[in-house]
Amino acid sequence: MIFASPTLAEPEHFSLAEKLAFAALASASLFLFLRRFDPILRRILRSKRDADFHLAPVGRRLWDFIAEVMLQAKVIRQRPLPGLAHAFVFWGFCAFALVTLNHAAVGLGMGFLDPAGWFGRLYFYLAAAFAVACAAGIAGLFVRRFFVRPKWLGEHLSWESGFIALLIFLLMATYLAAFFVPGLGPEARWLWWAHTLTLLVFLPIIPHTKHLHLVLSPLTVFLSRGSFSHIPPLVGDEDFGLVAGTDLTQLVSLQAYSCVECGRCTEHCPAANTGKTLNPKEIVLGLRSYLNERGPASEEALLGKFIPSIAPFECTTCGSCEFQCPVGIEHLPILIGLRRGAVNTGAWDNDYGAKLFLALERGSNALGLGASERDKFVQKQAFPIFDGTQEYCLWLGCMGGYDPKGREIVADFAAVMNYLGTSFGVLRKEKCTGDPVRRLGNDLLFQQLAEANLEALAQSKVTKIVSICPHCVRTIQEDWKEFGTPPTIEHHSEFLARHLDRLPRLPKEDTIVYHDPCYLGRYRNVYDEPRAVVSSGGTLVEAPRHRERSFCCGAGGGLAFLGEEKGERVSHVRADELAATGAQVLGTACPFCNTMFRDAFGAKNSTTPQLLDIAQLTARALPKADAGDGN
Amino acid sequence: MSGVWIVIEERDGRVGRISWEAVAAAQQLGKLTGLPVAAILPGAQTEALAAEAAGKALTRVVRLEHAALADYTADGFILALEQLFEKEKPAYVVFPHTYQVRDYAPALAARMHQSLIGDVVSISEGPVFVRQLMQGRLSGEYRHAGSGTCFVSVQSGAFRADHAETGTAAVEVFSPSIDPAQIRAKPGQPFRGSAQTVDLGSAQLIVSVGRGIKEAENLPLVQDLAAALGAELAASRPICDNGWLPIERQVGSSGQSVAPKLYLAVGISGAIQHLVGMKGSQCIVAINKDPDAPIFEIADYGIVGDLFEVIPVLTEAVRTAKQ
Amino acid sequence: MKILVAIKQVPERDAQIRIDSSSKWINEADLQWMLNESDAFALEEALQLKEKHGGEVIVVSAGPERVGSTIREALAKGADRGIHVESDDLGRRDALGVARLLAAAIKPENPDLLLTGLQSDDLGYGQTGVILAALLGLPHSSLILHVEKTELGLTVKRELEEGWFQTVELPLPAALTIQSGGTKLRYATLMGIKRAKTKEVRRVAAGALGADFAATVNLERVSLPQKQKSTQLLSGTPKEAAAALVEKLKFEARVL
Repeated sequence: MIFASPTLAEPEHFSLAEKLAFAALASASLFLFLRRFDPILRRILRSKRDADFHLAPVGRRLWDFIAEVMLQAKVIRQRPLPGLAHAFVFWGFCAFALVTLNHAAVGLGMGFLDPAGWFGRLYFYLAAAFAVACAAGIAGLFVRRFFVRPKWLGEHLSWESGFIALLIFLLMATYLAAFFVPGLGPEARWLWWAHTLTLLVFLPIIPHTKHLHLVLSPLTVFLSRGSFSHIPPLVGDEDFGLVAGTDLTQLVSLQAYSCVECGRCTEHCPAANTGKTLNPKEIVLGLRSYLNERGPASEEALLGKFIPSIAPFECTTCGSCEFQCPVGIEHLPILIGLRRGAVNTGAWDNDYGAKLFLALERGSNALGLGASERDKFVQKQAFPIFDGTQEYCLWLGCMGGYDPKGREIVADFAAVMNYLGTSFGVLRKEKCTGDPVRRLGNDLLFQQLAEANLEALAQSKVTKIVSICPHCVRTIQEDWKEFGTPPTIEHHSEFLARHLDRLPRLPKEDTIVYHDPCYLGRYRNVYDEPRAVVSSGGTLVEAPRHRERSFCCGAGGGLAFLGEEKGERVSHVRADELAATGAQVLGTACPFCNTMFRDAFGAKNSTTPQLLDIAQLTARALPKADAGDGN
Repeated sequence: MSGVWIVIEERDGRVGRISWEAVAAAQQLGKLTGLPVAAILPGAQTEALAAEAAGKALTRVVRLEHAALADYTADGFILALEQLFEKEKPAYVVFPHTYQVRDYAPALAARMHQSLIGDVVSISEGPVFVRQLMQGRLSGEYRHAGSGTCFVSVQSGAFRADHAETGTAAVEVFSPSIDPAQIRAKPGQPFRGSAQTVDLGSAQLIVSVGRGIKEAENLPLVQDLAAALGAELAASRPICDNGWLPIERQVGSSGQSVAPKLYLAVGISGAIQHLVGMKGSQCIVAINKDPDAPIFEIADYGIVGDLFEVIPVLTEAVRTAKQ
Repeated sequence: MKILVAIKQVPERDAQIRIDSSSKWINEADLQWMLNESDAFALEEALQLKEKHGGEVIVVSAGPERVGSTIREALAKGADRGIHVESDDLGRRDALGVARLLAAAIKPENPDLLLTGLQSDDLGYGQTGVILAALLGLPHSSLILHVEKTELGLTVKRELEEGWFQTVELPLPAALTIQSGGTKLRYATLMGIKRAKTKEVRRVAAGALGADFAATVNLERVSLPQKQKSTQLLSGTPKEAAAALVEKLKFEARVL
């Protein structure tokens, strides 16, 4: 049957003049493409080399490439309808690879796919199916951009995008139309030329602004840094972070040119959502403008004209931007790199920041309190001191050691460990892990803290650490690697989840809404373990934005120490969202989240959920004699 | 060598309370060493001051008078006292440990090849002088060596002014010779910090109010206490957030950091964000209904009670004490 | 302006205090060291003056080898060069003896302005700067919160008791002791540390300075004070508790 149905009409053979014309036009188009693409490529290649980039393990890169580029997984999952439309457009392009090659060959009299043969027929039908989906997809996206106008695409209407949409539609239309005209006829020839000209007009536009992602983004996804929020080490005596163009590395430049301006990063950014200057998309585009206007050899400051100086310092490092980006842009190393450039050179003049740095220069914790306060707490709780005989070192951290509420959480967790018979000890002396200064870009102070702590841990012969704070966990496990080999560390939710079967349960009365901390969720991929703990203590309720989409509490990136923020308070926005679920309890797994919500609820006059860490949820089911003392 | 000499400092035209404390200290030292105690009054017009001093158990009161000593300058005081000491060759010189004394006494001692033993909190047999080291975490016992004058300054409140024994003393005048050109610094008139802006950072006494106050209408309760104490009013974050007090009065991690002599926290629980702003205070008093409030962990003194009952009577008690 | 800042390395604030075997000082093993707080403000004042008026900031510090790290920290914050007066037994000198040592190192430099912190966090004498002024024949003022250079010399803001202040005018050269809190401190930066690597630190042995001196004041013994800080809860009726509180504030805490 199929052999009798319509197939793609091919024009009769072209004359020499036509072939020459085609060759000339194609060359011109290619030339124009290269003329635009070459400077961009050179700017990327002339950027500084990334010191710690390793191609291996290639397997993981290939996997990411297949999942994110070929299968469009992130594109679809995080924005389903537009994502699917885009996926069809992309798959359409992929399917058309052979078609386009054949099409050009036909123009030179060397067509290799026979429309009459079974393979040609099959392939052309397949391509046609994709063409329909692609045309529908691009039409849908056009309507979205020009009529629905989601705010993440920005105020300015991009006529260029409209034009490209039209071209893509035309490509599909001219292809499909060729099924309905007789082969070898004049209509076929016109359609061939229409398709060709559309293609040749399209090609030089590709390197223009975001359409470059067609060429670059598969590469960008493949060449990622290797892990989430991977902060590269500074190299040599003159490297202070991203200060000027000369500091931009090849990966950063590549990523800046890959931006498709979809705005998913900004859509999920807590700062952008609460009236701050920071807009992650604008940061990336600011870098791109810088590269276009100044180039990678420029000594002009990145902050100021191209990127507002305050913007990087409004970032909580929640990671939503990097997580959402479908083309592999890694925003966190860029934002932290910009912070480093300002802080490591002393250009950042902020009273609270200076206070934090001075507190850690002169003392042991980020709160500026005397270490004797922690000693008093340890004594009062009668925590054993780690001496190498216990299984775990219980890391208190700044919040666990000094904050009254953090202490309650630690005390309750210690009570659970005691109930389970797990041996643990605390270090005699702890210094702050350095998380806030690391995220703020103070490499001098971070190195000092990391090295001092690593030495203390090594001296005490610690092999396993458990902590109630996701920031401590992340910093110890990942960021300290630059200065030594940290012991293995896990978050208390991971510990508790493992031992749930041995822990008593309260009858499930409370509804508990669980808030995923950024540094436990997106940074560490731990979503299920805390939920298991919550479910054992009540009925789990999910917030509208949960798991990878959890909305930050506002404390990260050192911001908990930086004083007042302008605009709405991030913590209040999230607290309202969580309270609106109607749950009786708000379950947290991070002492910073806990403190931020406590403040936010404290400012409210309406009833608010009871605020409990998962350790407290677990401890309340323990027999009274074992329950934590709290303060 | 002639006895124990105490240098008296004038405050608002009278002998300052801290100088009486130094007199008491000097008298104690006199008893320990069996030496007579005399007083020095440096200044330009010291007659009235001398009359006050003459009512204490001292052997002599010396008015160290010169026009150049009308306003305090280090050069003036050093030159004048040095000349007196050349003549009298004291065994001991006792100062009150004031900002003024800290400005000249070390230099004066140095010129006489001595080191000042400053900020002494007790004097015992020896004589042994005790002072605090490492921000009060260590006590040190000092002794003087050699045959020269021993210079000592005593800490405010370490000795009691009402222990200065009364008696009668003969008053005399000593006029040093000072060339105005020798006075190199030109001091200006003392002034207060700007009255318009709230400067919690330099306030010595602070009364701070928290959520325990419940409503803005109740603030006068705390304002009265602050007025009675002569203290600045401060608040924890929720009070300022509600607009009951201006943001400049907020103490805490996102507000001011303060380290006054006295911090009286009323109805404040002691959340970490507030604690980090005031933990450096020398003396912390907490008044709170909740015996488990974290503020009590860092307080020196605490009253567990209803602030609406405690504050009024406390204000009364403060007023009485200050009379 | 050539500004010389005398700084001291002191045990960190959080240090655990244990008396050593001789009972004459604390056990220094396991102590961490840092720049004395008011000296940090003196250094900051110096750096700000240099930024405004040009010139050079030199730091000088006396003590054993470990003092070198604090000198480097000062260089990292912006000082141009350092002088380390090497001495292993500074503790045997009294305040005058230490000042004589420093004066001998400072004198050849002939600075326009000599700054020190108001007092040290460990011994807390608060005298070094004032004695240095006397030894070097410089006019001085203490408890300074703010320094301004004028045509005639300096105008400084001095702190007085009970919330009063005073401006004092001084000619140059002069010496000042700087009170903490008068200005914003800058934090140490990576760039500062890297640049500091090439700055000069001149080492001078204490013995070579010829400032040996027999102490007239000796610290004979140290001990831990009886009273440890603990919360005194005052009980009774509100009236009784209030009265007890006032009594304590007046006579025990001595803040009223």
